[in-house]
Amino acid sequence: MNGKPPLRILIAALGGEGGGVLMNWIVEAARQAGFSVQATSVPGVAQRTGSTSYYIEIAEQEAVFSLVPVPGRVDLLISSELVETARALVAGFVSPAITTVISSTARSFTTAEKSAMGDGRYQTEGIIQAAGKLARTAVFLDLTELAESNRTFVSATLFGAVSASNVLPWEIETSRQQLATASSLRGFDAAATAVREELPARESETASIALPGTQFSALPEDLQMTLSLGQARCTEFQDAAYGEQFLDRAARLTEAADPDDHGSSHALNEAFRRLALWMAYEDVARVAFLKTRTERFESIRQETRLEPGQTITVTEYMKPRIEELADILPTALGARLMRLAGRGGFPGLHIRSNGVIGYWLLRTVAGLRVFRRRSLRYRREQAEIDEWLLFMEEGLRSSAGFAAALAELPRVLKGYSDTHARGRRAYRRIMDEIVRPAARNGFTRPDTERLRSSIDAALSDDGHTRLDSVLGAAQC
Amino acid sequence: MEVSFAREISKLKLSEGEIFHGEGILAVTKALLQSGVSYVGGYQGAPVSHLIDVMVQAEPELADLGVHVEPCANEAAAAALLGASIMYPVRGAVTWKSIVGTNVAADALSNLASPGVCGGALIVVGEDYGEGSSVIQERTHAYAMKSTLWLMDPRPNLETIVDSVEAAFELSEASNTPVMLQLRIRACHVQGSFRAKDNAAADISIRSRLAEPAPHQYDQLAHPPATFAQERLKSGERLPAARQFIRQRRLNENFTGTQQNVGIITQGGLYNTLIRALTEIGFAGFDGGSEVPILSLNVVYPLVPEEILEFADGKDAVLILEEGQPEFIENEISAILRRAGCETILAGKDLLPMAGEYSAETVAAGLGKFLRRHLPDRCGELMDRSFAAEIDTLRQKAAELLPEPVPARPPGFCTGCPERPFFAALKLTEREIGKVHYSADIGCHAFATFAPFHFGNSILGYGMSLASNASVASFQEKRPLAVMGDGGFWHNGLLSGVASRLLNEGDGVLVIMKNGYTSATGTQEVISTPARSRRSQAAEASATHSERTIEDVLKAVGVKWLRTVHTYHVARMRDTLLDAFRTKEPGLKVIVAEGECQLERQRRIRPLRAGELAAGRRVVRTRFGIDEETCTGDHSCIRLSGCPTLTVRQSSDPLKSDPVAHVTNGCVGCGMCGEVAHAATLCPSFWRADIVSNPSRLDRLRAGLRRHLTGAGIA
Repeated sequence: MNGKPPLRILIAALGGEGGGVLMNWIVEAARQAGFSVQATSVPGVAQRTGSTSYYIEIAEQEAVFSLVPVPGRVDLLISSELVETARALVAGFVSPAITTVISSTARSFTTAEKSAMGDGRYQTEGIIQAAGKLARTAVFLDLTELAESNRTFVSATLFGAVSASNVLPWEIETSRQQLATASSLRGFDAAATAVREELPARESETASIALPGTQFSALPEDLQMTLSLGQARCTEFQDAAYGEQFLDRAARLTEAADPDDHGSSHALNEAFRRLALWMAYEDVARVAFLKTRTERFESIRQETRLEPGQTITVTEYMKPRIEELADILPTALGARLMRLAGRGGFPGLHIRSNGVIGYWLLRTVAGLRVFRRRSLRYRREQAEIDEWLLFMEEGLRSSAGFAAALAELPRVLKGYSDTHARGRRAYRRIMDEIVRPAARNGFTRPDTERLRSSIDAALSDDGHTRLDSVLGAAQC
Repeated sequence: MEVSFAREISKLKLSEGEIFHGEGILAVTKALLQSGVSYVGGYQGAPVSHLIDVMVQAEPELADLGVHVEPCANEAAAAALLGASIMYPVRGAVTWKSIVGTNVAADALSNLASPGVCGGALIVVGEDYGEGSSVIQERTHAYAMKSTLWLMDPRPNLETIVDSVEAAFELSEASNTPVMLQLRIRACHVQGSFRAKDNAAADISIRSRLAEPAPHQYDQLAHPPATFAQERLKSGERLPAARQFIRQRRLNENFTGTQQNVGIITQGGLYNTLIRALTEIGFAGFDGGSEVPILSLNVVYPLVPEEILEFADGKDAVLILEEGQPEFIENEISAILRRAGCETILAGKDLLPMAGEYSAETVAAGLGKFLRRHLPDRCGELMDRSFAAEIDTLRQKAAELLPEPVPARPPGFCTGCPERPFFAALKLTEREIGKVHYSADIGCHAFATFAPFHFGNSILGYGMSLASNASVASFQEKRPLAVMGDGGFWHNGLLSGVASRLLNEGDGVLVIMKNGYTSATGTQEVISTPARSRRSQAAEASATHSERTIEDVLKAVGVKWLRTVHTYHVARMRDTLLDAFRTKEPGLKVIVAEGECQLERQRRIRPLRAGELAAGRRVVRTRFGIDEETCTGDHSCIRLSGCPTLTVRQSSDPLKSDPVAHVTNGCVGCGMCGEVAHAATLCPSFWRADIVSNPSRLDRLRAGLRRHLTGAGIA
């Protein structure tokens, strides 16, 4: 090979977030610093939020520049998003011999990831580690957050980070001069400082929570934490007695579990969480309560970046069905309401939750919780919880694996209205067609696998197509 | 369109000796002006949209030069525009995206090529092939051969591209033949430099008009019997004239090398990739110097047999580097060598892949095979295998470290796109009546083929959706659905689809996305684009609401069942769709799904709001949010939306393991979330916040009441 290679820069980005702007800044700075430069991209429809890339070559003299990046021959990879960094790694663009990686740790979830019914997110822990192994140098910072806190775009913070990393063959001031607005300069400087200081990772905030009663003191600390969170949740949902009921139920499970078995303790933790969430099920009173909490309005203030002197109205999109109102009323009253109204719903309601009428309307609905214990839905939920607990106890006694899977079953009970109804159908089918027979079999390993795959299936599509196929197969 | 190209336009005015820095397609635009064109036109489409955009916005400046600018309704109209150069000695240029645009233009191109031109006629095609392409993969080369048009494929640096544009006009005039110049995607977008020349004004133009039309010359009509003579002229006179010009002007470039017994003949557009590949295997330098001689074909059709034979002379073997299939150039060279009895071995598609883009990695592998075979004594120096092994190792290591496949990220609807709520309504419709046959089309709405919507049984071309299900309708119990944009409707859909269906008294459901612009190509204007006055009147509202050209035309041609529904009324749209599928009324049912392109609306709103805020006037900002306490992590809302700002995040509730839905600060408050939550009876987690800056006295009074009479804490 003759001659010195140009500086080869690959920018991995999402369409529409300013990768082209960053490319143009680098090109302009290179020209001003007296370099020969070429850059190109494949915008097209990728402009519309898809994954895209930009490629730049910078040389001291005229050269025949390549228009496409070559795997293993990229000196600098700039990435605005973590999974896009992974994409570049997998395509072979990052080489331990030459590549500096400067990447934002931010995630912008792909549609496939975020539309999963459960958790479809790509496991990102490995990406930073992989880049550490595959790159010559790798710098990871949340440049997206840094951009937002400086009210600018990620292109500015990326440019700052890159310019402060000693990879570009010109003074940082030449880069800085390309920026026109105060906010982008702020973002640029903040990123440059962050790269220089290589900020230590922020410590995650772990709130200190009071541990539950001594009866659980033998349990590992994280389980105790879950228990106290669950107790608090149930107390908030109904009253202190309901919180105690949660602990009683948890105690039954704890007794059934083998204290020394790691698998059991995992199953227990999951079961405690599911139990708490289930017991604090979302009926209209619960929703109205959550909608009118002061903490909630405070978080809206932050999320909307409300400034002093501005006024704000908050509108709720609620469309409760008659059943849902009947759910919270005493059984007889609820049944009468259902007969009167037939099956149907309210028209979509726009309720101003911080308005005088809307607020007090919601508070009144929240107050319906005094009827909750006598309601149809309460009875139904408690009966189903007790049924599940019974099988959980049996499971914990004989098969920790099955218990761990069963602990996750309430996950399929999600959402509201039609979504909730679909979830309940899935729950019932799995309970009747897998859990009950499994209890008779004595919870064999195939039972556990069938249970797990049916939970996955129930969470894989709205229409239960996969669940039907799994359960069909399970029956024969 | 609201995007400003003022900076680009200033570059078009550079004069002799000044250095132009900028994008490839803009350099082409400058080269057209340097060549003294009288008219330019075309139809938008990546990667050549910018040429049209800049020309349209620079119309006043171009009028000073005498240049007429004509953004055409489709590529056929653009090709027909070149008809001016048949009888008049005027230079003209048109542009479009190929292969699709050339397909549409084909009829006019044949009728243009047959009589030939006396003024230089140039067609700049964006060769949309390989990574980043949005269309079917085919080569423009076939059109050059079958219509006898010349095809240039210059080396992808701005100097060569600009020189080629200027030479193309001369070649066209020297051989009375229109010339096509193809630029690949990355060449269109390449940022580089060249030394500018002064712009030239044409002798005949809008500033210097002719008093009389050209005389009637039957020979110049594409009509028998003249066509028989023209067919003979193409190969009898024009081809030799072209070859002579190409050879004399040295349009193809011969790069000598030290290895005299082998050589590479490449399409000019692949030259840079070839040099990089040669560098990687150790046979060239980054400065471009290659040990292997290279003949770079900046004109790929016609070839000049003498040039090929001279290059092949004395060589054991030559390799042809030709992207795409079939191997037109290789076959032609094969004939040239065979006819001359030349014994040089020909290599090409036997060593390189037949189909797909030629990356440096692909080319390096092919070069390695070629040189190993024909330079056996230098095998030891060849680094092709170590290069390939190095890349393999990198990929393997990455795959080991990241075993889970990286999720794909196809493009999608923008934040606030008014087409998204239509597809949510369609999903809700299908919950009631089941799946229907869906004929998709070209345009932003084709993003509905991706997650989370997954719509579409076929795509048959721009504006062709309705035409493509005419026979499907005959054997389906449920009416098939065709969706097209207003761009596709005017490009082709009105005639091929609507007129044809009405002529046949056929049934079916057509949805026209009336967003006001050809949005996928960069929001260029169509005939139903709301007038500027209408747009400023609409202010923050949708400006397409009161524009009724599409509806008027549909009524005029005889559509009886016609509804216009604003896409944000999700429930109403669902009910209208249900009605269209269920009604007993025969005939074509058309729903105009109206909602202005959000890109254009936002570009209008932003300066409007900034101005109001600066003036201290009341401004309302709307955004949506989700209560994470009530979100159960089911993500139904995302499956009905796919909005980039509607995403997920880790719940701050330690009891919840599944991520909860979340609206980011990118939200533009379009309102779809709430509409869908209502229409689908989804969940109560969505809230809308209306934030008032510079509140009025009434706002403040109400806020005061809220503050004192509720426990909300924000007012």
